Amino acid sequence: MQQLTFEVNGRREVVAVDVGETLLDCLRERLHLTGAKDGCREGECGACTVLVDGQPVDACLYPALACEGVSVRTVEGIGTPSEPSDLQKAIVEHAGLQCGFCTPGIVVVLTALLEAVPNPGRANIQTALAGNLCRCTGYAQIEDAVLSLASGAKDGL
Amino acid sequence: MDFIRTTSMEHTLSVLEAYGSAATLLAGGTDVFAQLPRGELTPGVLVHIMPVPGLSSVVLEGGAISIGALASHRRIAVDGALGGFGSLRQAAAQIGGWQTQAVGTIGGNVCNASPAADLLPPLLIHDARVALVSASRGERSLPVSDFVKGRHATAREADELVTSFLLEPPGTHTADIYLKVGRRSAMEVAILGLALRLTLDDRGRVAQARVATCAASPCPMRITAVEEILQGEELSADLIAEAGQSLRSSLSPIDDVRGSAAYRLAVAPRLLARAIEQTKVQIMLANSG
Amino acid sequence: MTNIGSDLPRADGWDKVAGKSQYTVDYSESGMLHGCVLRSPVVCGRIVRVDVEAARSMPGVRAVVTATNVGNGRAGMLVRDQTLFADREIRHHGEAIAAVAADTLAQARAARDAIELEAESLPALTTMAQALASDAPLVHPDWESYALNPMAAELRRQGNVAGELIADPDGVDEAFERAHLVVEDEFCVDRQYQAYLEPMSAVARFTDGRCIVRTGSQFPYNIREELAAYLDVRLSDVRVIGQTVGGGFGAKLGCGTEGYAAVLSRAVGGRSVRVVKTRDEDIVTAPVRENAELRIRTALDAEGNMTAREFSCDMDCGAYGLETPTFPSILFHFAAGIYRIGPVRVHARAVYTNTPPTGAFRGVNGPAVYFAVERHMDNIARRLNEDPMAFRARHMLRDGDTLLNGQALADAHIAREACEAVQKSLPAVGARQSGDRLRGVGSATGFWVTNPLPGSVTITVGEDGRLHVLTGANDNGSGAVAMGLTQIVAEAMGVSTGEVIVGLPDTDLSGYDSGSQGSRTTHIVGKAALIAIDDLKTRIFDVARQMLPPGANELELVGGMVRAVGIGDAQVPLAAVFQMANFSNVSLSGSGTYATTPPAFTPGCAVGLTMPSLLTPTYHAHRAEVEVDSVTGNVRLLRYVVAQEVGRAINPDGIMGQIQGGIAQGIGFTLTENLRLVDGRYLERSLEAYRLPLAQDLPRVEVVLLEHPDSEGPFGAKGVAEPPLVFAPAAIANAVSDAVGKPFYKLPITPEDVLFALDT
Repeated sequence: MQQLTFEVNGRREVVAVDVGETLLDCLRERLHLTGAKDGCREGECGACTVLVDGQPVDACLYPALACEGVSVRTVEGIGTPSEPSDLQKAIVEHAGLQCGFCTPGIVVVLTALLEAVPNPGRANIQTALAGNLCRCTGYAQIEDAVLSLASGAKDGL
Repeated sequence: MDFIRTTSMEHTLSVLEAYGSAATLLAGGTDVFAQLPRGELTPGVLVHIMPVPGLSSVVLEGGAISIGALASHRRIAVDGALGGFGSLRQAAAQIGGWQTQAVGTIGGNVCNASPAADLLPPLLIHDARVALVSASRGERSLPVSDFVKGRHATAREADELVTSFLLEPPGTHTADIYLKVGRRSAMEVAILGLALRLTLDDRGRVAQARVATCAASPCPMRITAVEEILQGEELSADLIAEAGQSLRSSLSPIDDVRGSAAYRLAVAPRLLARAIEQTKVQIMLANSG
Repeated sequence: MTNIGSDLPRADGWDKVAGKSQYTVDYSESGMLHGCVLRSPVVCGRIVRVDVEAARSMPGVRAVVTATNVGNGRAGMLVRDQTLFADREIRHHGEAIAAVAADTLAQARAARDAIELEAESLPALTTMAQALASDAPLVHPDWESYALNPMAAELRRQGNVAGELIADPDGVDEAFERAHLVVEDEFCVDRQYQAYLEPMSAVARFTDGRCIVRTGSQFPYNIREELAAYLDVRLSDVRVIGQTVGGGFGAKLGCGTEGYAAVLSRAVGGRSVRVVKTRDEDIVTAPVRENAELRIRTALDAEGNMTAREFSCDMDCGAYGLETPTFPSILFHFAAGIYRIGPVRVHARAVYTNTPPTGAFRGVNGPAVYFAVERHMDNIARRLNEDPMAFRARHMLRDGDTLLNGQALADAHIAREACEAVQKSLPAVGARQSGDRLRGVGSATGFWVTNPLPGSVTITVGEDGRLHVLTGANDNGSGAVAMGLTQIVAEAMGVSTGEVIVGLPDTDLSGYDSGSQGSRTTHIVGKAALIAIDDLKTRIFDVARQMLPPGANELELVGGMVRAVGIGDAQVPLAAVFQMANFSNVSLSGSGTYATTPPAFTPGCAVGLTMPSLLTPTYHAHRAEVEVDSVTGNVRLLRYVVAQEVGRAINPDGIMGQIQGGIAQGIGFTLTENLRLVDGRYLERSLEAYRLPLAQDLPRVEVVLLEHPDSEGPFGAKGVAEPPLVFAPAAIANAVSDAVGKPFYKLPITPEDVLFALDT
């Protein structure tokens, strides 16, 4: 076990973690932040996506100890059921979620997209979503939700 | 298993010297942490080198471009300094999703030396060199083509750290491209990858052609037989067909879960023809512009 | 009406989007142990020895169980052919051998790996042809002794044939003898994995003689039934509590991990045990869509009219039946598509093999049947040099025409309406080429049904006037509960959806429900809710009348108030009605149960028919436009148009999600997804190898909703969720065949298939 000091959703956390431990296990098991989901443990489904210093990473493949001194943001740090972010609100209002298991990862990656590209087109959104599998929705209404936030964005680009 | 976080080049090199082959270098973790639970790696110590400063930059160095080993795929895909290396940027943009591209590094992709490593064909067609350093023997560099020795095998010694990749800027009337074959639009391990760098002379003949592939042989490689066929010739349909046949006979693909050898061989000449067509158009557009 | 036909946000949406919904993997109990399962590396064999002693003494290990110490209860959806653990016989790769519970998951896995399994490999029947050979050994030598569930009463079984349907009407041979032309095609489809993002998981606690299991199941009451059988306890001693379901698509109708969690908890004396499948384990053991081989022959007269058909099909059950033995009956109903054909001879079999079991996947069997029927229709039209849609229109059933079971289809004209709608949105223009890309268009049409099985609802007015809805129905993610049921209750009770709280199912508390399957929940459970509300409203009004001015006879519910019609603004809030009822010995609770009444059919229309009639039909037309890359053989969907009859749209956005998501799964089944069996083992064992469509791979489906309210359904709603997937493979395969100019007979259509077709 080694000590890890990092910031999670704006709060300083000090935890002891195993050497081979993933950031996902650290968040879910030690910090009880269960928003990030374990869907495959191989970086294919993106349900575990969190932001590390603003960049989306698959927490299932990211070493917890690599987070020393960094800032991690999870879906819990983006909004709450009663105070959702604009993106979260748009996803609910556009029926951009069904079973919801992939949704936290999708919220996280699209939050990063909107921070990087304030007015993404459909192609930008689809590219950003490449690392996130959704089996229920077929993605279109998720894309619609993001487009609704992007003023002046053109459909189909 | 131990975990050491290194914060300087010196620190890294001394750790590598001390642990030798027991050490596994850890950058973005996307390969290492996928391989660990499968038991494909059993390191004595993980050496986390991401905090080492200065290894992720893309800089012009005496006319050549130097890409730091810790430059992320995403950085490579968007960095304006790599404008002359379209194939490299295209390849980087097709490695996994954003999550992989954000943390996966060029050093990791090359040192993992997967038969399907996307960055290798572009590095090969640009005659890239790998720079390494060790505590005891100092710096050395060698061509990527010599560095990658086989499937998951490289010329890196256990005490060495790959620091950067050096690429000579391509000349004029030159274009390059990386085409990747997969079942889906993204998130694919290449069924076949092909990089082409084409230089045409004033009369539209091939002044220089360089071709490299991945996922069609034990490790990515240059296909010099094809280059020789194209060299000095006009790009006629017959020539392209001949080059395609030569490419087919140069490859030694296998059947795997992603695609059959027969499919790879069927696609390869078509992909080469597409690459030639598209680079030709790029050169013409650049000239007319 | 404000709640019906409105795109209201789903009730569970806010928690889900904030990562706060509790899935089974997010649920834990004090002192909870972690379990895992040892699975057979052998495809077919006999257990010689399972030595668990070393595993038992490893750190943190609390229990190791095998067939020898958990009893040998058998369960199954139709035929009780399955045990929790292989006893002596190993029938498929991945079959459970033993399970371990330990303090940590790592300890459980280490102990599992320390179990010594000695198994003798036997020759395996890894294909249906092998299993059907006359001298084939039996996958289940004791098949005759297995108990049958009531649904399986008509099931026809024999040795390795787990379910067989034979329909042999008069006149088939004569029609073929007279035929001017006979068109014959053979099709095959491969296995498809449901690939829900949440791997199967359960938390169980076995205390005081009762087993309490928490699981995100589509069908909690079936989990209870199977667990009771496995554990050999009374049905009512199992309590299944629903969790949020992370997708199921049919795979979570039966037990996956629940049984292992339960026996481990019993073995450790009642501490909770959580069992979660790894993705690899989930792929190997999911009840995936069956691989099938289909042969179809149609006789035509000189005018190009279809006069008879023969349709035979073998479907692979794998080593245990699950739902698959009843699929031959489904195939029978759709063997003629939606066309007048004359007599149709059907022979369909579900076949046991030594492969991982197959089962229910959204649209069970439909995607394969319609792929065959609608590809065959295109092929016939081509042979006749006739436009495929014109050929279809010429043969399409008319209102009142009968289906193969003799049942009349009252409103068949809706299918024509659907075909016209897609034709208008995306006119078929014929194949064309642009550079190295080939384009083509393909269509499919037909009808599908709504599962009729019973469901029940109890609605209670709470102290603050909100409505608590108790039902055994779980929202599998589709929105059938979070949108459909919630909006139906809100509308009928005159409140906003925020006043309706639908709890998770709990078999101790809620009434019976037949599970989220067969597009049934909105239709059946919604109707049960309306029946409950009829009951509840009578009680509410009886109490309210005492509180309202004299003469308040006709009452209505508006905005959470009971209002007297025609007497000024006399009204009382529901909360006040509750208070009054509470002291008047009236329970403000209403219950309803509903199952669709089956229509008349012809007994004897087939032998082995487990589902004799088709209920609440819906009508559909799909059209796909594809682009084929002649360099790589990849196929891309350019446009996709769906005209779908839904009865009445409760939440159009929700329906759009069902259609878009169903088409996505259909695109996957047709182009990128399959589990290939090599000597009884899957080649695809990860989500890297098993390719689910990505955002970039999918078009935004263009949807035309056709509304023809059902006389029985809640506000006219019919089933919605399955048909998008049922018709997509046929439409896409027809489009690819059109683009390439060569027929495709096998799913998925891989880039290799396309390239080799282009080369020949």
